Amino acid sequence: MLRQIKPRNARSKRALDKKAPKPTENPKTTLFLRFTTCSQVVQDALTDLHQLRIPLAKKFTKKNAIHPFEDAASFEFFSEKNDASILVFGSSSKKRPHAITLARTFGYKLLDMLELYLDPDSFRKLAQFKNKKCAVGLKPMLLFAGTPFESPVTNEYTLAKSFFTDFFKGEPADKVDVEGLQYIVSISAREEVDGEETKPSIHLRVYLIRTKRSGQKLPRVEVEEMGPRMDFRVGRVKEADESMLKEALRKARTSAERPKKNISTDIVGDKMGRIHLGKQDLKELQTRKMKGLKRSRDVEDSEGDEDVEDVISEDEAEAPPKKSKKKE
Amino acid sequence: MPSTTLEAGETKKPLPVTVNKPTPYTFDLGLLLATDPNPLVLTSKANLEDDLAATARDGAQALLNQLLSTCPVASTPNGVLLSLPAIETSLPREKPLPPPKAQTTWQKFAAKKGIKPKTAEEKKKMVYDEATGEWVPKWGYKGKNKAGENDWIVEVDPKAERERKEGTERQGDGRRERKEKVRRNERMQRANERKGRKNGSGK
Repeated sequence: MLRQIKPRNARSKRALDKKAPKPTENPKTTLFLRFTTCSQVVQDALTDLHQLRIPLAKKFTKKNAIHPFEDAASFEFFSEKNDASILVFGSSSKKRPHAITLARTFGYKLLDMLELYLDPDSFRKLAQFKNKKCAVGLKPMLLFAGTPFESPVTNEYTLAKSFFTDFFKGEPADKVDVEGLQYIVSISAREEVDGEETKPSIHLRVYLIRTKRSGQKLPRVEVEEMGPRMDFRVGRVKEADESMLKEALRKARTSAERPKKNISTDIVGDKMGRIHLGKQDLKELQTRKMKGLKRSRDVEDSEGDEDVEDVISEDEAEAPPKKSKKKE
Repeated sequence: MPSTTLEAGETKKPLPVTVNKPTPYTFDLGLLLATDPNPLVLTSKANLEDDLAATARDGAQALLNQLLSTCPVASTPNGVLLSLPAIETSLPREKPLPPPKAQTTWQKFAAKKGIKPKTAEEKKKMVYDEATGEWVPKWGYKGKNKAGENDWIVEVDPKAERERKEGTERQGDGRRERKEKVRRNERMQRANERKGRKNGSGK
C-alpha cells in the first residue's frame, strides 16, 4: 500500500484528482506484464493484444517474478502505481506453458483472475495477416458465440466474457460514426459435452468488416480476418469475492434514470397516472334533496322564499351544499 | 463500413441480409456487443477457420442490422453518427463510488433553519416603489433602506420618546438604526470567522 499523498501543488492535485474515484469513471487502463520466463508466442500475443487496446494500455517489458494465484500483492501494487485496473500477465513454465493471466482490480485490490493457456500451434500474429489494419483506438464490435458464455452460474466462460467485454470496451461513447464500425472481435466456444475431460477452448478472432450493397436498405456484411488469432484453453480461476463484486457493481445515482412514481405506460402506449384523492367526506355527500329534510328548516324558520329556493336547488343538484347555503 | 463495393455485374440477385438462427441474438448496443446463444457449428477440425468466420459473419450482420435499424441516425458534416443506447451489461467498476460530499457548516445551518438560496428576483438591486411608481435601488444612493429618513414632518412616537437615550434626537434615528445594523452584522461575521478558525484548527 502506498502512503496517502497530500497534494502540495496544483499539478500534483490535478494528478490526484484524475486518479480519484468518480461517479462516472474513466475508461479502464490495461497493463501488460510478463513473468521471468515467457515464451515468444506469449510475448507476441501480449504485443498484439496491446496493439488492439493501444490508447488505453501500457506495456512493461521487464521481467517480474510474480505468481499471481499465490500472491497478488504485486498486481495490486502495479495497479495502484499505474492506475490500471485490467492486468494481462504472460508467463510460460513447464507445468503451465504459454499462460496468459487476465486480472481485474477494484479499488487497487484484486477482484478476479482468469488463466488462459494459449495454443502455440494455431496462434497467428497480427502482422502475419497481410492486409490493411484498422485505425488505432477504434471501438470494436463484439460477438460472443456459443452456449458456454450463456451459463447462468459464474464459471470460466462467463468470466472470460466479462473480461473480454471489459477489455475491448474502450472509451464510452453515446455516438459512433458508422464509418468507425470497421472490425469485430469474435469470441466463441463450442458447447460442453458431458463426459469429456477437456473443456472447450475459447477462440478469439478479429475480423475486418466489408460491406456490400445488397439492393436493400441494409448492407450485406462480409468478414476478412485481420488477426491476431488465438485459441485458449481455460486454466485456473479466481472468482470475485461476493461482497467486493457487489460493491464493484454499484452504479452512481443519476437524476435521469430515476423513474417518476405512479406514472406508467400501458400496452397501447397511453400514459397512465395514479393519483391520490384523499379520503372522501361522506358528510358532504349530496343526497337527494327533499323539502322536508332541509337543514335550514331546523335552524331558522322559512321566510316565505321557498319558491326561489326551489329553482336554485333544481339548478344545482350536483353542487355541494355549502354553495347553495350561501345563496340562501 | 470502410468499403462499399458495387458488384452489380457479377451478381444479379440481391444478397441476403437477414440472419436466421434458432435462438435469436441478444444485443447490448451501448457496448456494440452481440451474443449468439446458439451452439457453435463446427463441422471438422480442418474447417474450423471457415466455421468461425461464418459465425462471425452472421454475428456481424445481425449486429449491424440491429444497429442500423434501431439506433437513431444523424447525418453531420463529421459523418453519419449512430446514437447508442445506454450500456445494459453490468461490468465491475474500477474504483468504489466516491462517498457523498460532507455538508458544510453553512449548509447544515441553512437546512436546519430552512434558508433557501436567493432567487434571481431577490438578487436584483432595483425594486418597484408602489407609492411613487418608480424603480429605486434597495440600498445605496436614494436607496429604499433610507425611506423616511429625510421626512420633514414626522408623527411623534410617545413610546420612543420616553425611552430616548440622553443626548440623542429624533433627527437621525433611522440612520442610527441602519448603521447599528451594519455594525451588528460585521460583529457577527467576525465572531463566525473566529469560531470557524477555532473549529478548523482542531480538525
